[in-house]
Amino acid sequence: MATERPLVLPGETIDPSLIPSHPKNPLRLGPGLRHIPPTDIVPTVAGQLITNPAKNSMWIEYNSNRYIPSPNDVLLAQILRSTTDFYLCTISPHTAPATLPHLAFESATKKTRPVLLPGQLVYARVTLANKHMDPELECVSATTGKAEGLGPITGPGCVFDVSLGFARRLLMARSREDGGVGVLEMLGGEEGGGLAFETAVGRNGKVWVGSESARTVVLVGRALQETDRGGLGVEGQRRLVKRLVREMR
Amino acid sequence: MTATTAPEAALGVLPRSDGSAKYSHAGYTVTASVNGPIEAQRRDEHAYEAHVDVIVRPAAGVGGTRERHLEALLQASLSQLILVKNFPRSLIQIVLQVEDSPENDYVNTKLVQASLNFAIMPALMQTAVLALLSAGVPMRATATATAVAVVHQDGAKRTIVEPSPREIETAESVHALAFTSHGGLLLAESEGDFTVKEWDDLYETAKGICCRSAPAKEGMAMVLDDEESAGTDMRQFLRSTMESKVAADLHWK
Amino acid sequence: MPREAEPSLNERQFVAQAIQENLRLDGRELDQYRPLELTFGDQYGVADVTLGKTRVLAKATAEVTVPYADRPLDGIFTIATELSPMTSPAFEVNRPTETEVLLSRLLEKTVRRSGALDTESLCLVAGQKCWSVRVDVHVLSHDGNLIDAACAAVVAALRHFRKPDTSMEGGLLTVYTPAEREPVPLSWLHSPFCVTWSFFGEEGEMAVLDATWIEEQVRVGSCTVSLNKHGEICQIAKLGGTPVEAVALLQCTSVALAKVKEFSDLLDTRLAEDLKRRDKGGFMAELRAENDR
Repeated sequence: MATERPLVLPGETIDPSLIPSHPKNPLRLGPGLRHIPPTDIVPTVAGQLITNPAKNSMWIEYNSNRYIPSPNDVLLAQILRSTTDFYLCTISPHTAPATLPHLAFESATKKTRPVLLPGQLVYARVTLANKHMDPELECVSATTGKAEGLGPITGPGCVFDVSLGFARRLLMARSREDGGVGVLEMLGGEEGGGLAFETAVGRNGKVWVGSESARTVVLVGRALQETDRGGLGVEGQRRLVKRLVREMR
Repeated sequence: MTATTAPEAALGVLPRSDGSAKYSHAGYTVTASVNGPIEAQRRDEHAYEAHVDVIVRPAAGVGGTRERHLEALLQASLSQLILVKNFPRSLIQIVLQVEDSPENDYVNTKLVQASLNFAIMPALMQTAVLALLSAGVPMRATATATAVAVVHQDGAKRTIVEPSPREIETAESVHALAFTSHGGLLLAESEGDFTVKEWDDLYETAKGICCRSAPAKEGMAMVLDDEESAGTDMRQFLRSTMESKVAADLHWK
Repeated sequence: MPREAEPSLNERQFVAQAIQENLRLDGRELDQYRPLELTFGDQYGVADVTLGKTRVLAKATAEVTVPYADRPLDGIFTIATELSPMTSPAFEVNRPTETEVLLSRLLEKTVRRSGALDTESLCLVAGQKCWSVRVDVHVLSHDGNLIDAACAAVVAALRHFRKPDTSMEGGLLTVYTPAEREPVPLSWLHSPFCVTWSFFGEEGEMAVLDATWIEEQVRVGSCTVSLNKHGEICQIAKLGGTPVEAVALLQCTSVALAKVKEFSDLLDTRLAEDLKRRDKGGFMAELRAENDR
């Protein structure tokens, strides 16, 4: 395993034998790599080099705390203020605000547009992310015109900060198998005694946990944060869930 | 008084910043935090690249011109390492807090006006690089740094790696050198009297410490041999530090 | 200028409501502190206090200087608090914010004006030479309750600190370097600690200890009580916010006393441990025994 996923540091040369070569597909570079024409591929961050010969792609797997927007990411944004045509939202602290047009909500028209107060959370998708421009968000699918789960977040619940890598693992389609996180399933399943809660995971390292019971929200939030910080495996998560459920009773 | 000790580092020590590192070596302990890319102030905003802001804070007393000088040097060097073009109009803020510096037991220091010297440069540089790596800020290359002093001893000149404050006081010249992981010279600052020959020698010594596993090693194998015991392999240290961090982050893979 | 991130409306509502149900986001009791950790540096006078994700480093230093003209018999004692951008990018260098001013004033009142350090003992030659003791407070990470953490760090740093030994012979003052004579501790009178209560609810009826950053953003008022383990109150600061019942405040002070006793014990234990660590092989003890004779 170790030979397949070597550690790379910024500026190191990548062993050419590791670069996938597919006869037809173009080579795709993921995060953490840059191409210096004509032929050099150089890592820019410290992490594990992952290659996928089937898709002819390669990227660097690493964890960080600072979110850099990229299109089609779903995230939890916070309304900063409203202007005539759009809302300004904060995606991560101390960064330039993103714009969320008033019309980018389900069935919003010029006359019926949602009224959101400053500080309100919205679950949104990034439509435009460009290093020279402020990012743009939407709360509606451009193709179907439906919200598809996006939109303002209401109801009792709270936001918990996690690392970007953990947020990404939570969002994986098969998070337990591929990402090694089963903590949410366990909390809702038999280990957690079937707690009732809902979550919205943002790629910007924020997880909203909602439930009628404040106790459940706190329990789920703590389980998420401790799993992330402690770097717990699936077995560790099971023990954590059992311990927390016992403590919070 | 600290002898030449092995460098130690811990990453991610400050949970609320994007990246952080605590590094101690040769009696110096420095903690760094990195935040960025964040919104830059209007006066620091560059249309095509990120502004790198370096702040050096002494352990005691108020910072003065010497700190500003170190900041300017570090800023110039780190801007070369960071891919600043990736984040136009933003700010990458690096705060270096000196926690401990070796004390000269033979002198009572005045501390209200802090005065740092070049010997702390390698520790600052190394901490900054580690914190940047921990924050995942895209970089062109990594860097390693060391300090070298030339002392006059028993009628002969001798170079000392990572000099103690006592040695700095008696040294004829003190030099701080940093190299990128490609083996290029990133920073060279000197203080005192020295000849070109001396500088060439200490350049080789410093390069031996900073770039030991460099491909260009063969040419200077001779120099390396007698310096083997003098210092730690900084590049190897950087690598093993990052290895454990990445392994901890990606335990689930 | 990057502004400080604010908690969202959802978070504010939740935190306030959860506290009404005796619940905190990190699962603590309302009157429970986060684990307080205290470590000392290799040098004398460096103390590192960690309170959950809040971390404060204090460093004490001393130098010989001229006393103030109006106080010829007193030494000089200053506490320097400057919040660097390390705390949060919202803090700017050389531009004090309200947080910073409040913090330094409270530390000043608690440690300096309560006479914790005997400033007269810092005088060397009346009107001519005295020690100037300075404590630099560096906030490395801010997750609420800076005041309590910073106060503990300052007190710990000063208790740990050793200043160079001096002697007077025929009007000639000699300051010995650490190599010549073992430095001596400061003349310390009592150890005050701060305990900060945060109030929640319409009428501030819920009192919470050791608030995190988000709780500090939501609270309706706060009150800092400074006292030592003998129950002597150095100051009480309640700066604005919702009025609180006097009886509730009395209750708070008595809980604060219990907490301060815990802090004092922790500090004493850590100082003793540190002394033992420095005293490898009893060499120091031997030296000290000789000095006593």
